[in-house]
Amino acid sequence: MSDHEISLAGEAVRLLPERAIYWERERALVVADLHWGKAATFRAAGVPLPPGTTAGDLTRLDRALRRTGARRLFLLGDLFHAREGRRSGATLSAVAAWRAGHPALDVLLVRGNHDRHAGDPPDDLGMTIVNAPHHVAPFALQHEPAPVATASYALAGHLHPGFVMAGPARQRERLACFVIGARGAILPAFGSFTGTLAISARPDDRVYVIADDAVIAVSSLAGR
Amino acid sequence: MSDEPRRLRYSLGRPIEPGTPFVDLVPPKEAGEPSTGQSSLARELRRARAARKKAAGTVDPRRRTATAPLEEDPRARRARRRFAALDPDAAVRAWFAEHGWAPFAFQEEVWGAYRRGESGLIHAATGTGKTYAAWMGPLLEWLRDYPAATRRAGAPPLRVLWVTPLRALAADTEAALRAPLIDLGIPWSLETRTGDTAPAARARQRVRLPSALVTTPESLSLLLTRENAAELFAHLECVVVDEWHELMASKRGVQTELDLARLRRFRPELRTWGLSATLGNLEAARDTLLGVDAAGRPRPGRLVRGLVPKAIGVDSLFPETIERFPWSGQIGLTLLPQVIAAVEEGGTTLIFTNTRATAEIWYQALALSGVAWADRIGLHHGSLDRAERERVEDGLRSGELRCVVCTSSLDLGVDFSPVDRVLQVGSPKAVGRLVQRAGRSGHRPGAMSRVTCVPTSALELVDIAGARTALEAGRIEARPPVERPLDLLAQHAVTVALGGGFRAAELYDEVRTTHAYRDLPRDEWEWVLDFITRGGEALRAYPEYAKAVLVDGTYRVTSRMIAMRHRMSIGTIVSESSLKVRYVRGRTLGTVEENFIARLRPGDRFTFGGQPLEFVRVRDMTAWVRKAPSAEGAVPKWSGLRLALSPELAHAVRAKLDEARRGIFDAPEMQQVRPVLELQAAWSLLPRPDELLIERTETREGHHLFFYPVEGRLVHEGLAALFAYRISQLGPITFTLAANDYGLELLSPERAPLEEALEAGLLSTEYLFNDIPASLNAAEMARRQFREVARVAGLIFQGFPGQAKSVKQLQASSGLIYEVFAKYDPENLLLRQAQREVLERQLEQSRLGRTLARLGSGTVTIVETERPTPFAFPLLVDRLREQLSSEKLSDRVRRMADPLERAAGPDVPAIPRFANLRSARPR
Repeated sequence: MSDHEISLAGEAVRLLPERAIYWERERALVVADLHWGKAATFRAAGVPLPPGTTAGDLTRLDRALRRTGARRLFLLGDLFHAREGRRSGATLSAVAAWRAGHPALDVLLVRGNHDRHAGDPPDDLGMTIVNAPHHVAPFALQHEPAPVATASYALAGHLHPGFVMAGPARQRERLACFVIGARGAILPAFGSFTGTLAISARPDDRVYVIADDAVIAVSSLAGR
Repeated sequence: MSDEPRRLRYSLGRPIEPGTPFVDLVPPKEAGEPSTGQSSLARELRRARAARKKAAGTVDPRRRTATAPLEEDPRARRARRRFAALDPDAAVRAWFAEHGWAPFAFQEEVWGAYRRGESGLIHAATGTGKTYAAWMGPLLEWLRDYPAATRRAGAPPLRVLWVTPLRALAADTEAALRAPLIDLGIPWSLETRTGDTAPAARARQRVRLPSALVTTPESLSLLLTRENAAELFAHLECVVVDEWHELMASKRGVQTELDLARLRRFRPELRTWGLSATLGNLEAARDTLLGVDAAGRPRPGRLVRGLVPKAIGVDSLFPETIERFPWSGQIGLTLLPQVIAAVEEGGTTLIFTNTRATAEIWYQALALSGVAWADRIGLHHGSLDRAERERVEDGLRSGELRCVVCTSSLDLGVDFSPVDRVLQVGSPKAVGRLVQRAGRSGHRPGAMSRVTCVPTSALELVDIAGARTALEAGRIEARPPVERPLDLLAQHAVTVALGGGFRAAELYDEVRTTHAYRDLPRDEWEWVLDFITRGGEALRAYPEYAKAVLVDGTYRVTSRMIAMRHRMSIGTIVSESSLKVRYVRGRTLGTVEENFIARLRPGDRFTFGGQPLEFVRVRDMTAWVRKAPSAEGAVPKWSGLRLALSPELAHAVRAKLDEARRGIFDAPEMQQVRPVLELQAAWSLLPRPDELLIERTETREGHHLFFYPVEGRLVHEGLAALFAYRISQLGPITFTLAANDYGLELLSPERAPLEEALEAGLLSTEYLFNDIPASLNAAEMARRQFREVARVAGLIFQGFPGQAKSVKQLQASSGLIYEVFAKYDPENLLLRQAQREVLERQLEQSRLGRTLARLGSGTVTIVETERPTPFAFPLLVDRLREQLSSEKLSDRVRRMADPLERAAGPDVPAIPRFANLRSARPR
């Protein structure tokens, strides 16, 4: 695992290849777009997809929590993919088992567009549920990367950003990425059964791509 | 148009010896009727249409219900009086005579065979009487079985199904079938059922089908999802499958086979007749259509040879000076003046292109060329709106259009009178295609069918010369039928579960009477049953999932939502998600792919359907446009199949290149391309037939290896993956791959250990069984093929028309679904099927093995060249590329991230962030 340490709005944070940000001072793990129960939603609609995607994502979440020793978990929206997935017994029991393994973890969900349709997660998952933006100075936690009125630095998701890397001999690779801008950061989608949207970076953006177990800075975007 | 009456290509009924030209015959002129230059069949069609229109009053004939009693038609009343006294055979003969025809021997052969209960396949050129060969059998039988005195009022229930591959053909077919019904006073109802059929007609057909129904394989499957399917088809006597050559080599052909097996269960004595163009494997075409009996033996069937085309002439247009062929080979529209001259030489001209984008470009070039007939040029391709296509087809029939630029959309039997001239832009890629397109041309006395090729690059001249040689040797391509696709079987099982349900053992026996599934192993059948009921196999069923359910031993679909979604997704055609193109106020022009529209900003100009347009906005799955003053900007590209050189043509091309090596340039095309080939010989060499040429070049992009097996693109794609895989086993390296019809390219940032790899058995046929699947996976080719499999098996739901928003939560790319399967159910048979399809169809595995054997037994010559040669250049500029790597992803990405190593940045549209988000797509 090779994390990448950077400073955001004066705070030391680590970009994790598990597709999460760890905020050192607050001991908080920040993730976006988990889309729990997405494959279950498909199955309920008659599309035969194998089970295991949500469970696999929970294992990765466990690993990030364990590696960092986080006390808090900030979920930046789109926790459940859809109502059908939220009702799925298999998904709910996997999620409940995961929650039982982290009884002391303080979990905060900032509602996203999918959450509005899927409904809030069940009470027994013990989550604090708020609307965006939610301020934990110096950050504004939100789902959609809309502008913030205050001086807060936005942490957002929603876009599932991906970056197309071009290399020598016409090599190309599309990778999930973090986009670190002047006023806010966009996290990669945490859910593995989600696609990426190719983004173009601005000269003052910093892009960090995730290649297997490494977070790698894409340097010098100026002049692209 | 000349005053000389146009000659027909129908001869009087006598056996046609192979190679005998059609007998030309002047049609009897009807009093007072001006010479329209049309065949009497075309005139007949027009008359039938007019009659239909008249009977329909002012209502749009396509919407008119065809159950209006035919007795009211005065023509029918007169006809009945005229033909009533005759016995059926004499009546049909009299009907033919009235049109100046006599039945051909092959037509009578089919009628006789039909009467004896036989099935079979009729092969002949387009427009030579195949339709009536198949249609008159059932009519004669009915006339015999129901003498006039015994006929009851009203149309009988469904007796004949006419399956056609294209919706666009249905209207023409219906008109042709209707003519004898009216004239002979047969009180049958005749209707069309396709995706275009109006809801009212569908509702009526739900209860009772017409006496004869023209439909597509997809619409037929849809009818089989009806709970009362067995009743709907209870009186069916005959199924005619039109253009079977077009269907048989695709999954749509397998879908037809499955549907036929179902119909034969309802009606064991059902007769099946296929209509086909000439193929290299006609017996296989017949056997595939007819399937096997319970004991697994091919069902007997007759192969009837109809009229085959007379000799075909192939020639080419050339630039005025040979210097006009640059060594890079691309000449694009250079030949426009020669094309204009060719069109002006004759009367009506068809200009065939290989892609829709090329058709758009040539249409635009001709329209803006300033020729006097610029307003009498038509454009015809599959993405244009149906009304627009019909306008062009009518223009061809009436002779209003001077010239039509078209794609394969006019390859099939859209009926119009023969044109004077046929041009083919770009390489024909297959001998059969050239024959078919040539068949659209010229039927002057003593003239032969002729097709003029318009090369767009230098090496295409070799293809054309090769095609002529192969044509003279009579080497027409075979079309191999598709074997045992499980995705389609899963779809069909759900179809039957809807259409009254099925018992497992019965349906297993039934599908094994098709050619495609004759050897279906029981375990694969069990897997299909599991797949539609439990998702995974019995031990690891998927939770929440149940498409079909087992009730008292019968598999049924009980969920209305699943039933509806299945009906929406029936079929095997995978299309890019596409948007309608429509004027802000006014008509629909056609469809373009979402990918193209996504790149446009409001105000951008593009050309579509030959119209300069300005993009306004996207709303409700429609790209709204308005007319733009001038044509500038992009031409849409459609990601259709790229045609690849057929094995027959590849063989002929290798022979031509060998002649060139020996200094023989006998064909005019070879004379033209001579300077380019000599340059190739000077910079590198022209390979002997038993020699594999490998060129090695270094450019700013990196180190290139070019291999030239000249086997066609499909084989080269497989070889590229295999070679890259084998070299990459020697050490970490990343290749970018390209392939075309002449060869393949491996590009890498550092010099690849080629000599070492050749030593280690790069060309060996050993371990192929392991290396090919491994290389396909490494190059992600199976993942690409999975898209089609996923769509047919119902893993990707394309959505309801106009309701795209409501299924947003069910959208995922096939790539994502592939990853989920690869990770969580790697043994899934659909993954294996995707792999098998790449092997069997895409790569033509046996061809790949044979090619390797050929290459391995010959010599290998490696030439280091200073710059890309004429053979290499087309590969260098090809943009479709795969990657294959044995490096760690993170190592590779680290290197890409290094600014010194990084090439020019990728070009992706800007997404608004921390700004106005409305236009960003919600996820």
